Amino acid sequence: MSDQPLRTPATSRVTALTDTAAADYEVALESLNQWQLAWRRFRRHRLALVGVAILAVMVFLAVFGPIIWPYDPLDLRRDLPGPQGFDPIAMPPFGSDGAGRSVFVLVANGARLSMLIGTTTMLIAVTIGVLVGAVAGFFGGWVDNLLMRFVDLVLSIPFLFIVLVAARFFGGGELVPLILIFGLLSWPGLARLVRALYLSLREQEFVLAARAVGVGDLRIAFRHILPNAIGPVVVSATLIVANAIILEAFVSYLNFGLKAQDISWGNALARSQERIAVGNWWWPFFPGMAIALTVIAINFLGDGLRDALDPRAKE
Amino acid sequence: MTKYIIRRTLGLLPLFVGAVVISFLLMRAAPGGPQAALAGIKSITQEDREKWLRRWCLQAEVTPINMLKEFGGWLGVLNCDSDTVPEIFFSAQGGLNVLPAALGGGDNGILHGDLGLSIRAGRPVVDVILERVPATLLLTTTALALWVGIAILIGTYAAVHRYSLFDQGMTFLAYVFYSLPTFWLGLMLIFFFAVFLRTSGVTDFFPSGGIITTRDWPPFNTPQYWAAFGERPMAAIVDIGRHLVLPVFTLVAVNIAADSRFVRAAMLEALNQDYIRTARAKGLPARTVIAKHAFRNAMLPVVTNVALELPFLVSGAIVTETIFTWPGLGRLFIESVGARDYFVLMGLLLVSTVFILIANLLADIVYAIVDPRIRYD
Amino acid sequence: MTVPTTVTAPARASAGNDVLLEVRDLRTYFHVLDGTVKAVDGVSFSVRRGQTIGLVGESGCGKSVTALTIMRLLDIPPAEIASGEIIFEGRDLLTLSEDEMRHVRGNDIAMIFQEPMTSLNPVYTVGDQIAEAVMLHQRLSKKEAWNKAIESLRAVGINNPERRVKQYPHELSGGMRQRVMIAMALSCDPKLLIADEPTTALDVTIQAQILELIKDVQDRTGTALMLITHDLGVVAETVHDVLVMYAGRIVETGTVEDVLLAPKHPYTEGLLRSIPSRGMKGQRLNVIKGTVPNPFNMPKGCNFAPRCPYAFAPCAEYDPRIEEANPPDVACWLYTPAPGSPIPPRIRPRRPVEVGA
Repeated sequence: MSDQPLRTPATSRVTALTDTAAADYEVALESLNQWQLAWRRFRRHRLALVGVAILAVMVFLAVFGPIIWPYDPLDLRRDLPGPQGFDPIAMPPFGSDGAGRSVFVLVANGARLSMLIGTTTMLIAVTIGVLVGAVAGFFGGWVDNLLMRFVDLVLSIPFLFIVLVAARFFGGGELVPLILIFGLLSWPGLARLVRALYLSLREQEFVLAARAVGVGDLRIAFRHILPNAIGPVVVSATLIVANAIILEAFVSYLNFGLKAQDISWGNALARSQERIAVGNWWWPFFPGMAIALTVIAINFLGDGLRDALDPRAKE
Repeated sequence: MTKYIIRRTLGLLPLFVGAVVISFLLMRAAPGGPQAALAGIKSITQEDREKWLRRWCLQAEVTPINMLKEFGGWLGVLNCDSDTVPEIFFSAQGGLNVLPAALGGGDNGILHGDLGLSIRAGRPVVDVILERVPATLLLTTTALALWVGIAILIGTYAAVHRYSLFDQGMTFLAYVFYSLPTFWLGLMLIFFFAVFLRTSGVTDFFPSGGIITTRDWPPFNTPQYWAAFGERPMAAIVDIGRHLVLPVFTLVAVNIAADSRFVRAAMLEALNQDYIRTARAKGLPARTVIAKHAFRNAMLPVVTNVALELPFLVSGAIVTETIFTWPGLGRLFIESVGARDYFVLMGLLLVSTVFILIANLLADIVYAIVDPRIRYD
Repeated sequence: MTVPTTVTAPARASAGNDVLLEVRDLRTYFHVLDGTVKAVDGVSFSVRRGQTIGLVGESGCGKSVTALTIMRLLDIPPAEIASGEIIFEGRDLLTLSEDEMRHVRGNDIAMIFQEPMTSLNPVYTVGDQIAEAVMLHQRLSKKEAWNKAIESLRAVGINNPERRVKQYPHELSGGMRQRVMIAMALSCDPKLLIADEPTTALDVTIQAQILELIKDVQDRTGTALMLITHDLGVVAETVHDVLVMYAGRIVETGTVEDVLLAPKHPYTEGLLRSIPSRGMKGQRLNVIKGTVPNPFNMPKGCNFAPRCPYAFAPCAEYDPRIEEANPPDVACWLYTPAPGSPIPPRIRPRRPVEVGA
């Protein structure tokens, strides 16, 4: 998903001649700072705005869902018509699962844990990934070699393999171990990216200039270089959030994740396949749609951010 | 070229060693450890149990020296029938234990092809894994071929006809499929094709899982099955093909979505190069310019990218085989995680890591063939 | 084939039978997000068989776009050929089908580009890339085309062509690659060779060799040459006739002696003055003041007026066109009486300009 879609043809086809035109235009825009420019570009990205709107709904669900539609494990409809539960017409809006729980209440309550897992995983992964990548890329030499060989190793082991084994052996159905497992296994790709950015950024003039006035290594690495690497880092951070939400869903679907009484979108999906033959499509459909919509929205947002934060992007 | 391949292989060795160490640590770190696991196998006698303990150099106490012993035994370097140095390095046949059995070495440890005993099945891990290989190989190779082929077709066509209806439609579809959780896509496909279409009487062509129709055929990959396969090969192939459709689609949808965009970007990049203008200035037809000059250059990053994504094929197989009860390694993995069958898990970890390393090596070689700028020496 | 040495190049000059290419009132526009750029805005000129002609101007003046329009290599959209005719051997290239045009490209008109480093396909051998064009246009077998590729490499002074032909572009130096480009362009014996800044990306010593080579093959084969450059030194050494372009228009034409030694248009004069020379040590370089006008917002009168040291009243009001100029070789109100303007032109005779003075 690396090329910018759905744009008018002209924007990306600037010929040699119009470079001068673009340069003139840049001069006029000089008065805006970097963030204002980024915001201007972001606002023009229609899909990113759609993403923000969907995410706003999901965040609303995560914050207020459990308050407005509280989940009570004892609040069950017991007059079930059969193993597939009520369909959405018999029990609006999303029907019920086989135990008589409202699928809507599950979705509304599951947003909180799913979003929490997504964001905290991202925070852990970004912290480690940026630290490792920055140290490797900035200092180079044997430090770089050691760290990157380790990253290579982790990346050559199937990710899902380690995650599932760790979740099963060390997760214990608890939230914190699960988040730690996700976070501690999600950073290598980001570290590789940050290292590549640092390798090119540390050769640039502004680093030399900072060195010339006696700025220390750590300060250069994190105060001078890091802000210049922020765009790609933010974009992959959004992807980590999306991946963690999907991952939690799969792990919980397999019953290796959260305990049954902790409601997440993944837990809402668990056991939904058992009754598949009786046609209870609403049971997995709505929690899955919530995940899919959230992930689409995050991807839209990530695309918008990438275009907005790309320092080479032209107006 | 041979030199280049050897050098690349040697470069991958540290990764392999790392994977070996990790899979060993996994066994040690697992709750209860291998001793408890062995105790859990009901089908073997106490005597056998002690034989296995010695064979794998399993030690009662956790000390650094004991850990080294266990690792050595698990690798196959040490022979714990004896406890003293230097006898411990030699096999019963008298040669260095690390050598192949034919040269007087031992027969224990992964270097000699012994991956341990499956707790669930009570049989050697190697056998348990090998019997699942055909199903996974069938699923993943079919998926890989379709994935790369379709992504290249869509991506190239979309790049050449940029901003056309096709391009924009594919962009949208890519967004959607890229965001769908794979296992949920599989579930929905089962609901629609295998349940809804069947119950509404449209077609019962799509089965909801498995690799063969169990009431028509003997269990898959048994001698009886292959005998039946030999009698009615066409029917058997059609039967398997019918079962392949939904899992393969589930497995490739995300990858096609991502890679068709990648191919499109690579193709656009190539089409913007100066040498394309040169080719057009020569008077070559557009078809030749695209298929010969742009395509081969666009494939360079694509080859690398596909190699980098191969671990996803393993993860995807785990997800897909679970949803579609496909009797392959992915399903074996989930079953073994559920049963905490450590030895099988360690074996699977090794096998899949080796698969990924070999795939990377192949990608390097293909890359060197396609790009003349890579120097072999 | 005889190479004419005397020249009457103006675009409107009656075209004799030996006219190979005649461009009439060509306009190429680019439609981009911020508006329309008139990259080529009414250009007319002709090239006779065997003639060498130089197209000179600053970067962005439309000279490369003119060449790409003749070759029909621009992407449409964003480009649009708004008007004009490109008559090549009696046929208007703009009316040809893409298939017919393909037989012109590489066969009748060949082109060499600025960047030898990136203009060759990195994944095919030099021989493949030359033979490809030969097989296409001359319907030779693979073997014959390969031999032809070796021949054309030898013809551009490459030693040991039998070995070079099997090499990939990355194994060759920049100058060597440009020789390959020239060999490729000449492999089908084109009637017109367009060289777009062929030496700009090369080292100075290599530049001289490549120019010498181009002149040499041009003498030998009698092909017409259209040399595009911003470097007046290159023009002086290579061509017979010069077209000076500014902001999408031709502003002055003439023989190389006339234009370089006695420029009429103030822009040409400025270009010549801005070449540094010996004996200027310690002096400021002469530069043309200001920049090329914003393509979205062209001045109302003469495009060059805002930068022109001789500008007077009509220049801000009336747009001089070389098609209507009298004398016909310069588009400037200093020479042609401005229409409706009460102020007479200040006619200045061609006068020599010392380069850099």
